[in-house]
Formats: sequence, C-alpha cells, structure tokens
Amino acid sequence: MNPLTPKGLPRLLKFQGRQEAPAKGRKSRGLLALLIALLIAYPFLPFVNSYWIDVAFFVGIYVLLGLSLNIILGEVGLFNLGHAAFYAIGAYTTAILYTQFQVPILLLLPLSALIAGGFAYLVTSPIIHLRGDYLCIVTIGIGEIVRITALNNPFDLTKGANGITGVGNPDFGLFAIQSPTQFYYYIWVIIALVIIGLINLQKSRVGRAWNYIREDEIAAEASGINVRHYKLLAFVIGTALAGVAGNIYGSKMMIVSPSNFTFMESCLIFVIVLLGGLGSIPGNLLGATIIVVFPEIFRQFASYRLLFFGAALVAMMVFRPGGILPRKRERAGLRGLGISRLPADEDAFLQEALRAAPVASAGAVQPAENAIVLETQQITMQFGGLVAVNQFDLKVRKGQITALIGPNGAGKTTLFNVITGIYHPHSGKVLFMGEDITRLKPHRIIAKGIARTFQNIRLFPSLTCIENVMSGPHCHAHHGVWPALFHFAGQQKEERTILEAAARRLHQVGLWDYRNELARNLPYGKQKMLEIARALASDPQLLILDEPSSGLNDKETEELMEFLTRLVHEGFTILLIEHDMNVVMGISDRVTVMDMGYKIAEDLPQNIYNNPKVIEAYLGKEE
Amino acid sequence: MQVLLEQLVNGLTIGTFYALVAMGYSMVYGIMKLINFAHGDLFTLGSYLGYTLLVIGGGWVTTTFGVWGGVVVAVLGAMLGIGIAGLLLERVAYAPVYKAGRLPLVVSALGASIFISNGIMAVWGPRFQAYPATSIPSGSILLFGDFRITILKLVTILVAFALMALIYFIVEKTLFGAAVRAMALDRETATLMGIDFRKIILFVFFVGPALGALAGVFAGLNYTRIIFNLGWSYGLKAFTAVILGGIGNIPGAMLGGIMLGLMEALFEGLVSGAWKNVFVFIILIIILIVRPTGLIGEKIAEKV
Repeated sequence: MNPLTPKGLPRLLKFQGRQEAPAKGRKSRGLLALLIALLIAYPFLPFVNSYWIDVAFFVGIYVLLGLSLNIILGEVGLFNLGHAAFYAIGAYTTAILYTQFQVPILLLLPLSALIAGGFAYLVTSPIIHLRGDYLCIVTIGIGEIVRITALNNPFDLTKGANGITGVGNPDFGLFAIQSPTQFYYYIWVIIALVIIGLINLQKSRVGRAWNYIREDEIAAEASGINVRHYKLLAFVIGTALAGVAGNIYGSKMMIVSPSNFTFMESCLIFVIVLLGGLGSIPGNLLGATIIVVFPEIFRQFASYRLLFFGAALVAMMVFRPGGILPRKRERAGLRGLGISRLPADEDAFLQEALRAAPVASAGAVQPAENAIVLETQQITMQFGGLVAVNQFDLKVRKGQITALIGPNGAGKTTLFNVITGIYHPHSGKVLFMGEDITRLKPHRIIAKGIARTFQNIRLFPSLTCIENVMSGPHCHAHHGVWPALFHFAGQQKEERTILEAAARRLHQVGLWDYRNELARNLPYGKQKMLEIARALASDPQLLILDEPSSGLNDKETEELMEFLTRLVHEGFTILLIEHDMNVVMGISDRVTVMDMGYKIAEDLPQNIYNNPKVIEAYLGKEE
Repeated sequence: MQVLLEQLVNGLTIGTFYALVAMGYSMVYGIMKLINFAHGDLFTLGSYLGYTLLVIGGGWVTTTFGVWGGVVVAVLGAMLGIGIAGLLLERVAYAPVYKAGRLPLVVSALGASIFISNGIMAVWGPRFQAYPATSIPSGSILLFGDFRITILKLVTILVAFALMALIYFIVEKTLFGAAVRAMALDRETATLMGIDFRKIILFVFFVGPALGALAGVFAGLNYTRIIFNLGWSYGLKAFTAVILGGIGNIPGAMLGGIMLGLMEALFEGLVSGAWKNVFVFIILIIILIVRPTGLIGEKIAEKV
C-alpha cells in the first residue's frame, strides 16, 4: 500500500507514533539483567582463570576510555585523536604524587580526574572553536606533546622511557584492591556508576545540547545553546574520566611509562567509539571487548594483528559505517527522554501539556501595541570589499508582520544574520525592546526573545522531531551537570516543562504525530514547519523567518499564511524575508525593500507596487 | 655561524620533504575534505620501494646504471609504484565510504594507515633497514668560505623545488588546474559545469602519493635508515605544514613545509633535539590561535 494515500497514512502514523515499545523494552531489560549477571558471575565461571580475569579488567579500562571519548566524539562530534594524553596525565598524576608524596591512591582518583580535566580545559579553551579537522590535528599534537614530555623526563619527574615504578594499590582501609578479581570488580563497579551518570546526562538538557552541536553547530547556537560552553564541558568531563582510567591503570600495573600512551592508543580508543556506534553505550561495551579480546585470541599471529585490524577498520567503514550497535533514538519514544512519571500514553501527555499552559503565551513582558520591538540603526556589514548591508535602518513594530523584500543578493539574509548575532556588524546598532544587542552571541539573543529560521533549513537531522523542538526552551532553563547526574527534583520538573512546551509547539504546527520520527525523514514542507516550531518553542517576542514559503506548494503556502496570521493574533511579532509577492501582499503590514545593501523603500504593501525605485530594482531602469 | 648555516641546509632539506608530502595532503583535503592519514605511510612505502630497487639482485641497478642512474631508477620506480598504490587506496578504502560521511572516511583512512604501515612491517621486518652505501651518491662542493654542501642535498633540494614549481604551474596556471581548484571550492557546482570528479580524483591520488614517494626515496638516501613507521612523524609534520600554509591551498603547503623544516632544524641546532617535536606542535597551536586560516589563508566560508 502506498503510505501516502489516505488509507495508508494512518497506518504510517501509527507505525511512527505508538510503536511496539513495551515488548521491546522488556526484551532489552532482560538482556541487560543477563549482562549484569554475567559480569558479576564472570570470575567464578569454570574456564575463567586469573589471566582471563585480567583480560576482563583491561576490557573495563577500554570501556572507561571509550565512554570518556564518547562524550567528546560521540555526543558532541569533536574529533579528538589525542585522548591518550589525558589518560596519561591521569596515570602520571597518580604515579608521581604517590611515589613522591605517598598520597593515597584512592584520593588520587578524583585528583587525577581533576588534573586531567583541568589540563584539557587549559589547552582546549583557546582552540575549541576550530573546525573539526584543525581540532583533530591539534589533539594529535597534544597527544605527542604529552608523550614526548613524559619521555624527556623533565625535572626527573617522569623517569623517561622506563617510566615510574612502585605505584601502589587502592586501599579502602579495611581491605586493599590487589588480586585480579578485586581489580575486576573495582573497575566494573566504577564503570556501572559512570554509565548511570552518562545515561542521566544523555537524557538531560546538557546531553541534548551536546547532540544539537554535533548535528548543526550554527543551528544549535541560534537555538540558544552556548556552543563554546558545552563543547568545553564535554571536553572536561570526557578527559576527567580518562584521568580516572589512568589512575586505575597505574594502580593495577604499578608502573606508568610513555609507551602506553602512544598515538596508536588514541586511535584504539577512537575506534572503540566508532566501532560500537556513536553515542551508543552498549556499542561502546562491545567495541572495547572486541578491541581487547581479539588480540588475546589471536596471540600467535601477534605481528599480523594490526595489519588485520587496519583492514578490518576499512572493511567496517565500507560495509557498516554507522557502527555495530548504533543508538536508535526514534525507537525509544518520549519515555526515552528520561523524564520520570511520564504517562505511557503519549497523547494523554499532550492533553496534560495543553492544559498546563495555553498556546498563546508569547513572552512574559508584553510591550504596548505598535511599540517598536526591533530597530536597526545604520547597520553596515562588509565582506572584504563588498558592502553587503549599507547603513540600514529597519523598524519592526509589535503585533505586525514586517516583510523584507528585495532582489537576490540584496543583503537580506546578511541583515538577518546581523540581527541574530551570527555576524557582528562593522558599524551600527541593533536595538531590541530598546536594549542594545549588537555584540551579543546568537544564544544570548534568542534568550532575549528573538528566534529565527534559516533560508536553507537547518534542523538537527538525526534527532527526533520532539528533540528538535526541545532545543527551543533550552535557553530559559538552567539546570546543569550535577542536577542531571543525580536527577534532582527541580531538574526533573524543568525537564518536564521543556518537554511540555515542545509538545505544545509541535502540536501547534501539526506535527505531533511525527514526534518520534527523525527530522531528516520528514518531507520538505514539514521540515520547514518543524523549524518554525523549534523557534516558537523558545517563546520569542519576535519571530524572524527567512523565506518561509520557498519550496512550498500553493496549498502549503496558503496554510502557512493562515498560520502566521494566527501567530500575530496570539501576540507574536514577525519579521520575514519573502519572495512570494502573494504572501507579502497577503499578510504583511509593512514592507521594507532592500537593494544592493541599501534601503530603497519602506511603505504599506499596496504602495510598494507603484514605487518607481522598487520597480527599477526588480526590473531594471527604463531606457 | 657554521652551525646556523648547516642547520639551515638541513632544515631546507627536511623542509622539502615536508613540503612534498604536504602537497599530497593538501590536494586530497581540497577535493575530499579528508585528512588522508594513509598518506604518510605511502611515503614510507615509497621509501621502501626505492630501497628494494637499490638492493635487489645485489645492487644490480646501481652496478648497471651507475650511482646516479640507480637513483633515477629508484625514484621513478617508487613514484610509479606509489602512484598506483594511491589510486588503489582511493578505490578500496575511500570511494565506497565517500557517501557515508566524514567520520567513517576518517576512520577508513586511519585503518588504511595502520594496514599499510603494518604491511610494510610484515614484508620488510620491524627493524631499521639501511639504504646501501654503494648506491648513495657521494661528494660535496664548496659553497662559500669553508662551507660545504653534499651534492646529494643540493640535488634533493633542486629536484624538490623543480617539482613543486611544476605542480604549482599545473594547479595555478593550466585549465586542468583550474578544474582541480574548482572541485576543491565546490564539488557540486564543478560537477554541474562538466568537470569529471573521477578524473580529478585520479590525478590527486596519483600525483600526491607519487610526490610522497619521491620524498621517501630522497629521505632514505639522505638519512640512510628507514623503518616501517617512519611515515607517522613525517605525515603528522607534513599535515602541520598544510595548516601552517592554509589548508587546501597548494602553494601554502609548499611554503608551510619549508618553513616548518627550517624552524625545526634551527630549534634542534640552537636549543634542543629532544624537544623539537614539542616545539613544532606548540608552533602549530599558536598559529591556529592567532591565524587559524594559515599563513596564506584558505577560502572556505560557510553559508548560513
């Protein structure tokens, strides 16, 4: 059956919305219980000797390293090929402080994390804004700097190539961790705690912010995510965990030497994350197991091990580029978002959300009708010698739809980018409700109450529709890492508020039925509506739309016009760039015409048609 | 003064190697937006291929064609062989992954890099190999005062510069070069304008590795000892040179390579050899902080 015929559609929606979640959940819970039982019983299984217990310990080390890099690479998409450096810093911190000052190993566990994370903060904060490839090469460089430094034995601290010997064991007072079995349980208990923490983070506003950045950095910033802050946060948390792994490794091996922290080590950790699937915790476990156990099984081919490994990597990327166990967020439904006490029936939740607050709630402070909401004063924006926007004045009044029109290349989108903080103008001011917002970053501007859409749709393609819209309320929420880690009551309440707001907006644009579908799977017209829903979800005063009707058919355009008119009645103010004259004439209250960076006219829509300057700009001068 | 001059020549020599390898990186990056991690290992493979041509049959090539004739055979043989290896690499490891996105492409490149370097180890062994002394041109000339330069170094530098000039001419001054640059700027538009993507890919993946092989053989001749993972440090520094000059910018890669070689050699001569790589990477980080587009600059702007 064609899913797009009227009969097929409900089926498709049913498939997308209420899926076979309960059965699936039971199955995966069963698997999880089995896995935990296996992990607990492992040292006592008949064929497991102390050698294989140690192998399982090293799987644990790599799981920890994989999880730590997963935060940086999997969640945020930052290429870090020098992760071994932070692992090394954890290990060396432990070794040096223990052997020189006899600091207890257990106390060094958080200290190693702190120093590794602090070091990461120092070295990455000047370069965190760099594009992926630059960051990749810089992290390789950091990896080498740390390794060579350890090798060169500065101040006789690192003991050069031989490394530091005599690192002690973790001592809990009552008992010390010494035997392989004890170390095995020690690391897996830590892993369990880390995983619980990570899942809580993944399913919080912090984790979502990371994912937004990975999906589209500019859209994330424009949706209210402080990109720089969240990137650094991921780097610090990820590297701190690597420091923990370094501490445990050092106390187990009792020796720390530079040969353990080579580029190859960073590559292995990188591969673990990729092998399992980005952002996938089960994938991580599997990846680490493969990386550690396979070489043990094929020990007699030791010298060909890496040869095979290299070939396998290429083959893997050719045949299964997404990893073995990729994270499937569209299957989890709303309950997968990790908010407690959510009703099983998602439609019932929508009703609750709609009751909780009326849709028409544009901002808290309402300016008087016809007051100037947005004003640009003498904005000039240059690219090299090209003046894209020239001393531009624009006024947008409360409760009106203001249209900005002009030929292609007139500078309209550039002006929008100046208003929303993506570009900073060379001169001139942007005033919003009388406040100067010219130099603010985009994530601050949306918090002030200006939300936008993009000319070429910029959604978060591999996230679900509801997750896309949940980025809107992000800028008004404030709970960070610790509340998310421990599910504080306030954090849970805030998460629920975010979800409710997103549900309302998704419902408002008519996409509620697609809530658990990945944004990239929506047809073009619906993607545009989703982008508007995302902007609305930040409860803006002013909505800036860049060519909302482009690519829509006549019927969709008509629906859009009705929808925008309704928004104005609900109290929103709208500024839009538009090429479709029917839309401009049909809904706008005021039209500003731009050509070659200059404002050439500003008038009521009906007068614009006869303005000679406008005719000239569009049709050329009459000879 | 003597030390300074010597280090300048040394820096220039190693700088030409970095520049030659860097050009290959830059070309591939320009077209595919991929850091071709395997490129450094193709450099090593080229070095080993040249070595094999010189030792095979008890140095047959050298005894038949003379020392310089042997060098020519080794260089051309390695360039041809590695050019073909480059094409093979693209076919097997990159072409099928191209659509899957950038991350899989990077991992595939890492895998290829690990495969090639360990393949070299499997074939030629894990220990250092030495270019045969009988095949290495000897002799030196007095440059000025009592400052001597070996003829080999002089030839290395001259050949490298000649080749760089040739590539510069092809990329910047010919119609084909314009097509390569167009492809680097915007693949889609270039394809729509009738430029054959595959043809550009073939060029890039043949010429880049061949230049690397040339550097590999000359590095072997100059420093004698080669090892299977030689390409890792050369590759990393060459890529640093690429960034120094401005990523995707071929003249920038040449300039970056020479500058990096000079800085490294001067640091090594005047300060410390053990810390020279730390110095190189710190330079890289500083460059990225103060001038992230590199010395010459790149022309990539994201459309919002």
